[in-house]
Amino acid sequence: MRPCGTFDRSYAQDMAIFRTRFQWLVLIMGLLFLFGVFPQFGSYYSITVANMIGITIIAAHGLNILTGACGLISLGHAAFVAVGAYISAMLTQHLGLSFWAALPCAAIGTGLVGLIFGLPSLRVKGFYIAVTTLAAHFIIIWAISHGGTLTGGTEGLFVPAINLGGMVITSEKQFFFLIMGFVVLMTFFAKNLLRTRVGRAFIAIRDDDIAAEFTGINIFHYKVLAFFIGAAFAGVAGSLYAHYLRMLTPEYFSFMESVWYVGYIIVGGMGSVAGTIFGVIFLKLLAQAAMIAGPIVGNAIPAISSGAVSGFMQLSFGVIIILFLVFEPRGLNHRWNIAKALMRIWPFSH
Amino acid sequence: MEFLLQLLTTGVMVGMVYALMALGIVIIVKTTGIFNFAHGTIVAFMCFLAWSMMAQLHLPLWATAIAMVGFAIILGLLIQRLIMNPLIGQPLLAAIMATLALTQVFSGLVTLLWPGPARMYQPFMPSGVIHLGTAVISYQALITFLVAVVTFAAFTLFFQRTKTGLVMRATAEDHQLARSGGIKVTSIFAMAWIIAILSCSIGGVLLGSMHGVNFEPVSGLAYKALPAVMIGGMESIGGAILGGILIGLAENVGAGFLDPLVGGGLADVLPFVVMLIFVIFMPHGFFGHRRIERI
Repeated sequence: MRPCGTFDRSYAQDMAIFRTRFQWLVLIMGLLFLFGVFPQFGSYYSITVANMIGITIIAAHGLNILTGACGLISLGHAAFVAVGAYISAMLTQHLGLSFWAALPCAAIGTGLVGLIFGLPSLRVKGFYIAVTTLAAHFIIIWAISHGGTLTGGTEGLFVPAINLGGMVITSEKQFFFLIMGFVVLMTFFAKNLLRTRVGRAFIAIRDDDIAAEFTGINIFHYKVLAFFIGAAFAGVAGSLYAHYLRMLTPEYFSFMESVWYVGYIIVGGMGSVAGTIFGVIFLKLLAQAAMIAGPIVGNAIPAISSGAVSGFMQLSFGVIIILFLVFEPRGLNHRWNIAKALMRIWPFSH
Repeated sequence: MEFLLQLLTTGVMVGMVYALMALGIVIIVKTTGIFNFAHGTIVAFMCFLAWSMMAQLHLPLWATAIAMVGFAIILGLLIQRLIMNPLIGQPLLAAIMATLALTQVFSGLVTLLWPGPARMYQPFMPSGVIHLGTAVISYQALITFLVAVVTFAAFTLFFQRTKTGLVMRATAEDHQLARSGGIKVTSIFAMAWIIAILSCSIGGVLLGSMHGVNFEPVSGLAYKALPAVMIGGMESIGGAILGGILIGLAENVGAGFLDPLVGGGLADVLPFVVMLIFVIFMPHGFFGHRRIERI
């Protein structure tokens, strides 16, 4: 919904991401806050949380394109992130490549892995794709755990630090600028993709694949492309994650992580770029709250103390997802749009 | 040859447990059309619940069994009424994600209520082994196998011979037609969940007595019911047996011969490889419904 008096005179205006001066103002203020104010005044802890949120947002954008836009349910997204992380780690550790060369390799390599597991979409759809990606998750994680010295197996793989023009990026604050730079870039990619021919083809396939085929969209081509793009986003996130952690083990990429990724886009609102960001921030902060509340409750009730943190995290995640599915299946993004509309027409009711 | 025979018998024994797990998933798919990814964690949850009743409340086996039926009814009704009913008519992803959220709820509950190391049931099965030709089978595996067979027979009789079973099959065939025939479809859905959770309880106790009352192994083993369901066909009870046994065989024989080549651990991943092959080349499995698109 647009404010009164805003109308378009050209196609370019109609397709523009930022339409009004106010939106440009919000963008500039937001970027200023993100890169200027927050790292200056944010505590070490909040920057650490923001880094994790940033990496997750990049990967969740990929899943949002794959599941939200193209309707292909992926239950193996954490494994795609793992592939990106390990490709980047192996290239830098074993071959001595720099991070800047390894990141595109990780993106393309993960995209190709995603493409391979997307091939069954030639024959099956819907639920079967979900099962295929679930199998993909277990197969990929198994392969990584049994990769010997190449992947470090379950013992873990050491990852060298990022070197940016002579400056070695190790501190949380340095990482913050790097990760947020990528977040802004990838968010723009995701937002832009959804208004191109490719993105609109994805949405057409999601809404009705037979109708989409009638309009001349090569379904198989675009479904595999969706897998490639979705996994490539995961690859970028994985590459950043690897160099952020500096030490990789397969345990970081459990099946539960894959479930969380689907949870992010459901809470945020399927198919919306802004919603993905909301969903990740909301659930990551919820996990932080569980981490803080867990020990307190654990101290009060000693019987449940040892499993309190992870138990509360899983329990609250499950309950939140179910509540969203039942009461607000359109996610936080829908609420956000309602709030915007309310502010715009205030003080009138409609 | 002896090695192969041993692997085959173990495969069939383990496969029957997978088949029992798969049965629970098939019942829900058949009646409600929802694929329950939470099956594995519900199995683990019921396994822990049974342990609590036997070891902490010192209930005898028969009282535990009655209490487990009660819990199955409560859980089934809760899941159906509070979560699945409102999701009728929502897109596929909503139902899938709801069951995945249930996995989180149940694993969270298990971590909260039964923290710390693994537990053991008081042994209620005789120990020892019997020899079948050159193959060796433990009594435990044999009893597990027999319990699974009896459970299957009971469920098949229930579906084929009782009126409730007939009503459930009618609901599975067509929801609209069943409603116009005077069947309350939502009650049948609730009943499907209750029966599935009952089969979870049986499977949970069997797995718990084999592998200890431990969350990871029990829920992990129950995850392998997914390939079993896919191979047998999602809507077929007989397919669940075939799929379960095939997965048990693939896992044991494959791992037995290939493990030395790749360094072990194949048993965890082979079922999923087999499932992937089936999804690509034969997505409806052996006895599932072939889906035909009509425009």
